[in-house]
Amino acid sequence: MSFIDLLMLGFGEAMTLQNLSFCLLGALLGTLIGVLPGIGPTATIAVLLPITFFLPPLAGIIMLAGIYYGAQYGGTTTAVLVNLPGEASSVVTTLDGYQMAQQGRAGAALAVAALGSFFAGTVATFAIAVAGPTLSSFALSFGPAEYVSLMVFGLLAATILASGTVLKAIGMILIGLLLGMVGTDQSTGQDRLTFGAIELFDGIDFIVIAIGLFGFSEIIANLERSGSEGVTLAPISRLWPTRDDFRRSWAAVLRGTGVGTFLGLLPGGGATLASFSAYSFEKKMSKRPQDFGTGVVEGVAAPEAANNAAAQSSFIPLLTLGIPSNNMMAMMLSAFMIHGITPGPTVLANQPEIFWGLVASMWIGNALLVIINLPMIGLWVKLLTVPYRLLYPAILLFCCIGVYSMNNRIFDVMLAAGFGLVGYVFRKAKCEPGPLLLGFVLGPLLESNLRRTLLIEQGDPSIFVERPISLTMLIATVVLLGLMIFPAFRKSRQEAFQEEEG
Amino acid sequence: MKAFTALPLAAALSAGMASAALADWPTDRPIEMIVAFAPGGGTDIMLRTLAPFLEAELGTQFPVLNRPGASGEIAYTALSQARPDGHTVSSLNTPGFLTMRIDRKLRFDPAEICPIARIVEDPGTFIVQPDSEFQSLADVVAFAKENPGAVSVATTGMGTDEHLAMLQLEQAAGIDLTAVPFGGANEAKTALLGGHVTMIGLNVGEYATSDQDSFRALAQFSEERSTLAPDLPTAKELGYDVIMSSERGLAARCDVPEEIRTRLSQAVDAAIADPEFQGKAKQQGIPLSYQSGADWSAAMPARLERYTQIFQLIKQEQ
Repeated sequence: MSFIDLLMLGFGEAMTLQNLSFCLLGALLGTLIGVLPGIGPTATIAVLLPITFFLPPLAGIIMLAGIYYGAQYGGTTTAVLVNLPGEASSVVTTLDGYQMAQQGRAGAALAVAALGSFFAGTVATFAIAVAGPTLSSFALSFGPAEYVSLMVFGLLAATILASGTVLKAIGMILIGLLLGMVGTDQSTGQDRLTFGAIELFDGIDFIVIAIGLFGFSEIIANLERSGSEGVTLAPISRLWPTRDDFRRSWAAVLRGTGVGTFLGLLPGGGATLASFSAYSFEKKMSKRPQDFGTGVVEGVAAPEAANNAAAQSSFIPLLTLGIPSNNMMAMMLSAFMIHGITPGPTVLANQPEIFWGLVASMWIGNALLVIINLPMIGLWVKLLTVPYRLLYPAILLFCCIGVYSMNNRIFDVMLAAGFGLVGYVFRKAKCEPGPLLLGFVLGPLLESNLRRTLLIEQGDPSIFVERPISLTMLIATVVLLGLMIFPAFRKSRQEAFQEEEG
Repeated sequence: MKAFTALPLAAALSAGMASAALADWPTDRPIEMIVAFAPGGGTDIMLRTLAPFLEAELGTQFPVLNRPGASGEIAYTALSQARPDGHTVSSLNTPGFLTMRIDRKLRFDPAEICPIARIVEDPGTFIVQPDSEFQSLADVVAFAKENPGAVSVATTGMGTDEHLAMLQLEQAAGIDLTAVPFGGANEAKTALLGGHVTMIGLNVGEYATSDQDSFRALAQFSEERSTLAPDLPTAKELGYDVIMSSERGLAARCDVPEEIRTRLSQAVDAAIADPEFQGKAKQQGIPLSYQSGADWSAAMPARLERYTQIFQLIKQEQ
């Protein structure tokens, strides 16, 4: 069958009334849990998994997939409106999205996010359809050595995340790396920095840090104001993005889509890493990087496109190789297996209606999400007029429920509260939490892959320059480092010369 | 003085409550099922699939509560702090339950936790790429003898099933392998497919439900061949003394009345015997292997002894 025939087969499967309704149900559920901080798609799908026993295989899988990418849309809403990332992957959206909301441009931020996500979802879905098997073999060539080089590059790029001084950004990255070390060491089984608390044996959860540093500290900071006004400082001017917004964001969406599609493929990557990387990349590409963090529309468009693209492309290793690239995909694997389907090359050949039906439903689901989300923007923005003495206690409550429900323990809530206080101190010290979170995400990946590489190579580091992908990224790192150092170097040299002359 | 007089009264009250609870059990309240792993893991899905059958068997509800972390210690600690009224059970996994006491101080006393029933026994296997030069375990051993340390084995961390199996093989064959820890079975699979490691350890259940064309299994580490892989030889048949399997089941506090524990054990036995449950287990690649709590307990000391010896080997290497 030709590509067009297969795609038509897929749409034929996905467009049946039953599959269409389960797609809609999944997308709606996903949006809802995306809005609620802490309650993530993985736990939701785990709870719903037994229900899919009673559905036909494709309908069940379509619904669960809808929850996953729906959550990527929903997570944006609270990130923009109240500086509270609904999902881990929308943490970086708070940086500029919330600033836009403060300037009365929440509607524009949400609309750009929804449209950018839709575009990214469409591209990534077609990437699955057209190049799935090719892309997955590329992902397989990423071994521990390649990861090390990619992470080194990522850590350097993390300094770009902050809009303040580079020194503070580096300090925050180091704190992030330190936090990433908490927990049981994979190679030796020793516990590190746990202070004897068994709750810390598996490390600190990303959500705990994110909700603490962003959500709780935002609420503490707002206690400085009186309680009667609404959240927004500026009046809400218009809901729809301006022509200028569109002009500035289309390239950001394109780049975000590319970064997201690529990082979604890699094991352990996924939507969170993608959104951070897309933001850093966008800031590096921008002609006015100093404006990032003050409410630029590109700072919303790029990460939102990236997290949605990554959410779609992380299906590629699962569907083509049968290997899930993250926890969420592991859940999807269980969903397939409950129905006796083992994803992999044989499914592509023997049950094309499952693969193509799912791919087609993803595109339909993304379209449905835009239709659901765009009209709701007006409603969401009205939330901002609620006085925050009413709104914030409610948010606090949802945060606590979300954090608690991750592992069913109060320890995590206390830990998040602690990070809230720390985040308030950071805020006062003008240290931005973005680089900290990226250090926290990248650090463990860097460490474990470095150790793996050296174990496999029995201590010989030459592999890093012998493998082409790794070498390319190391060269890129050196170039980036040079770009960062030399302008400053030249400037200080000029100053030194001037002093000599004077 | 007041406190002294109140004590016997409180004791009498709680004794009365315990017997009342026993009379009504299990229909008076739901039975909470603590799962020591995050939603979506093998143990979680197995128990969530089983719960409705247990509910039908005992006429009460079995809500699932995930208490993941510290390879089960958090869940076992929660179980040991629950009231011993038969309304709290927990998942129980070996080798984790047995090995965690070897080298760390625990927050609970393992002697206070009694197995109710073993549900699954899933032997370990070693897997290589389908086009690998290694056709058998003997090939790997021969190569490793020539090239000490050159064979890399992906594990899911120190002291895990795969790691313990690898150490046993090293000892049984007199070879030197290199353990490379990964974040989970799926990361390890990816590394194998990409050709970054020589061999990975997987459970037969994981192997049987994977795409069979992508992997080649070399041996399974059980006493007898698993029903899921009847054609795969055991390491013992091949002449290597490697015994490693993960067992999953349920446990309760030992001071839960014995009648209740027996009843729970029987309910698990009946639920597992249900053809509908067996069909679902087969689809998910769950190798069912019921054992009563007493039998399972009786088998544990020998296993613990074996694991303790292996851990001493690790200590010597370090």
